[in-house]
Amino acid sequence: MKAGVIDSCIREIKDGCGEIVSGISLHGNEVHVSLKDQAKIPLACNFVRSVLGSRLAMIVCTDERGRGEGFVLRHVFEKEDGDVFVLVTARIEGEGFPSIVPDIPAAALYEREIHDMFGLEPIGNPDTRPLVLHEHWPAGLFPLRKDFDIKTKAGRVEGRYRFQRVEGDGICEIPVGPVHAGVIEPGHFRISTLGENIVNLETKLWYTHKGTEKIAESMGLEDAVRLSERISGDESVANSTAYCQAVERIAGVEVPQRARQIRAVFCELERAYNHIGTLGGMATDAGFAFGAARLYILKERLMQLNDALCGSRILFGINRVGGVNCDIGGEGKRLLLERLGQVMLDFEKVTVFLRSKSSLMDRLKGTGIIPRAAARDLGIVGVAARCAGIDIDTRRDHPYAGYVDRNGRSPQQLVRDQVEMEKRQGDALARFDLRVREVGESEKIIRDMLDLEDDGVCATVPEMEPFQSALGYAESHRGQTLHWVMTGKGNSVYRYKVRTASFCNWTIIGQAVSSDIVPDFPLVNKSFDLSYSGNDL
Amino acid sequence: MTEKREILGSGIETVSRDRLLEFQGKAPPVMSESYERAGKELRDRIRRIFGRSLAIREIDAGSCNGCEIEVTALGNSFYDIERFGVHFVASPRHADVLLVTGPGSRNMEEALKRTYEATPGPKIVIAVGACAIDGGIFGDTYATTGGIGSVVPVDVFIPGCPPRPEALVQGLLLALGRLEAGGT
Repeated sequence: MKAGVIDSCIREIKDGCGEIVSGISLHGNEVHVSLKDQAKIPLACNFVRSVLGSRLAMIVCTDERGRGEGFVLRHVFEKEDGDVFVLVTARIEGEGFPSIVPDIPAAALYEREIHDMFGLEPIGNPDTRPLVLHEHWPAGLFPLRKDFDIKTKAGRVEGRYRFQRVEGDGICEIPVGPVHAGVIEPGHFRISTLGENIVNLETKLWYTHKGTEKIAESMGLEDAVRLSERISGDESVANSTAYCQAVERIAGVEVPQRARQIRAVFCELERAYNHIGTLGGMATDAGFAFGAARLYILKERLMQLNDALCGSRILFGINRVGGVNCDIGGEGKRLLLERLGQVMLDFEKVTVFLRSKSSLMDRLKGTGIIPRAAARDLGIVGVAARCAGIDIDTRRDHPYAGYVDRNGRSPQQLVRDQVEMEKRQGDALARFDLRVREVGESEKIIRDMLDLEDDGVCATVPEMEPFQSALGYAESHRGQTLHWVMTGKGNSVYRYKVRTASFCNWTIIGQAVSSDIVPDFPLVNKSFDLSYSGNDL
Repeated sequence: MTEKREILGSGIETVSRDRLLEFQGKAPPVMSESYERAGKELRDRIRRIFGRSLAIREIDAGSCNGCEIEVTALGNSFYDIERFGVHFVASPRHADVLLVTGPGSRNMEEALKRTYEATPGPKIVIAVGACAIDGGIFGDTYATTGGIGSVVPVDVFIPGCPPRPEALVQGLLLALGRLEAGGT
């Protein structure tokens, strides 16, 4: 069936826009479409999006001038009804490229990022304000160009960021951050209010930008696994799994099924402890300390379980290229089942209790509603999409690791009822309910997954050819994390592009709070549970 | 003792009080003796030096949020650091200690400096985690300052990636010890 989808996909591209395409090639589930001319990018992207029924998943830019290829743009699309990625590839001549934002709004941030990091102008994008490099960076620095030295210490210049302005009688601006009142990551929120009502919210991020993608380029392929874990500390397994899968695909390595299952087990443990922590955070932000305390106890117990299983409370060090570092033996399995079972028993009681508190439920219900149309336009993923009735889940749509067994089947927990999906309201309560449900699903998936195969935990990885590239992906507790790796000479990283779920989802918060009052903002923000570090890289 | 209460709403069960008591849970809490000892020592020192309480402001200067997870964990009922007199406060103006994580990202440099300046003296700065010490895996690059020591003066370094809650308390103990000995 999969081959059928890909074949028809390729045929449609040939029939529909064959005259602007210089070549089509197939790598696994990636269809690479090379364009003859960069001017045709919008045409090709529109075709892939609307005719093939796909959504924009990422835009990757590479500086391949060193090997005579110039700058190359890859617009990555994910087919909505099949396990296929379409990469529209075009070589960029000159200092600009045609923007696809007028047709595909989800491209806006990617193009601004490329503008900052590569100095290529997205022609036709109405918003080219700096994103990654804040106002104090001098002009003319493009960190991801190959001729930019990573050790460059740029001076500071005076500058001012142009926030969106709301004007009129009684409009007030509230600046929040980057240093917040709680123990959370830094970001700046500019809230325009009329009385208590939020009229506009603008989020300014990238305060934690630490050059992750650039640093990867000075690392070996194996070393960069440690870096991928530190993209966002709480989604270490998902990100390192995605990275390893990209490299393994380039190397053509078949990862043992046992290692794949162990990856899935730790991915689900990660989901469980984070979802429980987020539920606790939502209780805190709604002023319900007792409920939060109960949930934080459960989170701590899961983190102690993590520690017992792999020696890290936040699951660092699980993955390696070719498999995993950490086996789950008989004793580990017993411990996992026993402790997870105890936590789940208590979790059920706590959630029944929380649902019985009208003071909490009233705060969540109808708060922070995600408009479904905007969610589609902006390319929202993960919990945020599913709580608004958009049924996307990388574990099922693009099965990876242990989420596909030897017979090609996905866990039944991931098949969702369409009627039930349609009923989801997209408010904070829907996100609360969905997280509760997903913790339960995680437990069941772990139980099923622990019927481990006996074929080893790591495959031998051969030397890799330079300038080969592949996608790797995983579903973190926030949503799809998508990585693209290109190898360099001597098993090094030439380019590592990371796009976590947070990058896709930050923009929707502005839409979601637009009908709320200021005191609801922290609650709505927490209900999305986005990572700043995973966004800022 | 069974006090039944009807709850409104669909799919919501009736909850009785004796079921709530079951929350105590069947799993015994895993308490660390060394943590308890360190915590009591911390409480005594805080009493001696600060009267009763120590106020901490946490600043993320570009961390991957791993350190934040562990700092937050100090507040859960296992570690419950508040019982030793330690409070995480919302403003640097109320703080005795700045707990700084991350490699000191360039985009946070100014905010970190200003937070330090807003903190009244005497103040202690603690660099938490490998990144805050020397940039860690993120090193000293165009985007980082290679550890927060190049932005603000640091009194105590707590290693780890991320440091466990026990290590954080040990670090606080060390900082107070230095203060008591007339350092910083």
